[in-house]
Amino acid sequence: MKPTSIREMLYEPPGPAARKRISILTWLAMAALVVLTALVIRQFAVTGQLDARYWSFFARATTWRFLGEGLLTTLEAAVTGAGIAFALGFLMMRGKLRKNRPLRFISAALIEFTRGVPTLLFIYFFFLVVPQTGWKLSAFWKITLPCAISACGVVAEALRSGVNAVPRGQTEAALSLGLTDTRLFYKVVFPQAIRFVIPSLIAELVIVLKDTTFAYIVTCADLMQNAKVLISNYDAMLSVYLVVAVLYILINYLLNRLSDRLAAGSGRTGAGRSAV
Amino acid sequence: MSISNLLSQYGDRYVQALLTTWKLTAFSFTAAFALGVFITVLRVCPIRPLRSAGDFYVQIFRNIPGAALLILLVYALPYLKILFSYGACVLIATSLIPSAFCSEHLMSGMNTIAPGQIEAARALGLTFFQMIRRIVIPQALRSTVLPMTNLLVATMLTTSLASQVPLRPMELTGLVSYINTRAAGGVAAFAISAALYCATALLIGLAGSLIDKKVRILR
Repeated sequence: MKPTSIREMLYEPPGPAARKRISILTWLAMAALVVLTALVIRQFAVTGQLDARYWSFFARATTWRFLGEGLLTTLEAAVTGAGIAFALGFLMMRGKLRKNRPLRFISAALIEFTRGVPTLLFIYFFFLVVPQTGWKLSAFWKITLPCAISACGVVAEALRSGVNAVPRGQTEAALSLGLTDTRLFYKVVFPQAIRFVIPSLIAELVIVLKDTTFAYIVTCADLMQNAKVLISNYDAMLSVYLVVAVLYILINYLLNRLSDRLAAGSGRTGAGRSAV
Repeated sequence: MSISNLLSQYGDRYVQALLTTWKLTAFSFTAAFALGVFITVLRVCPIRPLRSAGDFYVQIFRNIPGAALLILLVYALPYLKILFSYGACVLIATSLIPSAFCSEHLMSGMNTIAPGQIEAARALGLTFFQMIRRIVIPQALRSTVLPMTNLLVATMLTTSLASQVPLRPMELTGLVSYINTRAAGGVAAFAISAALYCATALLIGLAGSLIDKKVRILR
């Protein structure tokens, strides 16, 4: 049987001596990890952070309903933002693949601009400058729009790499059948391209979701903001922030798992996935 | 305020902010890279608990939002009597998160190595660590120049987290919000910072593709 990954490839089946060594090291490593965990728990106990008053309110339904409301806003902002990013990214991708030179240049410049500027700068722009122009935006849009704008360039590049991955023969066949450029794109190329890039689009949704954590700047009642209310109600900073961080990690982990599974299914990895 | 007004009034501060952003980026990326290599070695070593610990580390820091991590470090850790300065908190956050992505890139870079390489190394009698150090990591690094370039840009964008704590000197994002809360800097104040960010990102991208052309292994 051929090994599936380099991880399995790196070592040959161990002999008796190596097996013994590995099992000793395994026990040592296990012991070290247990000691490390114990030290962390001890630090919690010593500083009194394991007291019931810091954790008991998590048994109440109201706590979870409140966190759930925040989470819903977070998800709503993330999905809306990702949707807008997809629409903008699609337009920019179309622009960059046109023959028209100025249009191509503008699209390329917009892609580089949105990819090279941190989300926080866009958020501060919507928070500090947009209200001065008299454009009244709700807190929800003040966080959703900047997150969408900062994601759209990456989406455009992901879509473009998907379009480029469609075999040339498809375009040639469609042209020889007499399809117009528009029909060629929407009926033949794009449906195949989108299948390639779904994993990177999900990875992008994770990035938008992470960016919405900055909603506290514009005081939008997302998960993080609701966590702050809980903290002031129960005077429990550490436990609430830990639980919220775990919630964020779990959601993003599940989304990434979904993306990996879809990538494995389509035989392609999430190409062009960007970090952080 | 117009751009020329802003530059005459805050010009030195913009230069200082740009240098701060560069410094934060350079430090974070170096730390993230070293950590990423270390974690990757853990993830491929034959000792199962260490492997799982490496995987766990990557999943945590790949999935935690930067703001959540920074808030934990700044506001929650003091309750455990673990105190870091603001600057240290920012650097820890901007190093840990990219380190997880660095390890992911190295893992996928490793997967491009042909199994024959490992077999050849073994036939030559290299030990496990010799093989990792001389065969696996150099090849994995050479095929991950472009992802690492993207990671460097992403690390630069992550350093904008520093604007969330009162850190002096300010970096590019912090400076803009500072200018805008004191005077109406308007669009121009943002445009300058954005241009500096973009220029840095373009430079990194250019350098990355040059290096990639030099070291990429053509297969």
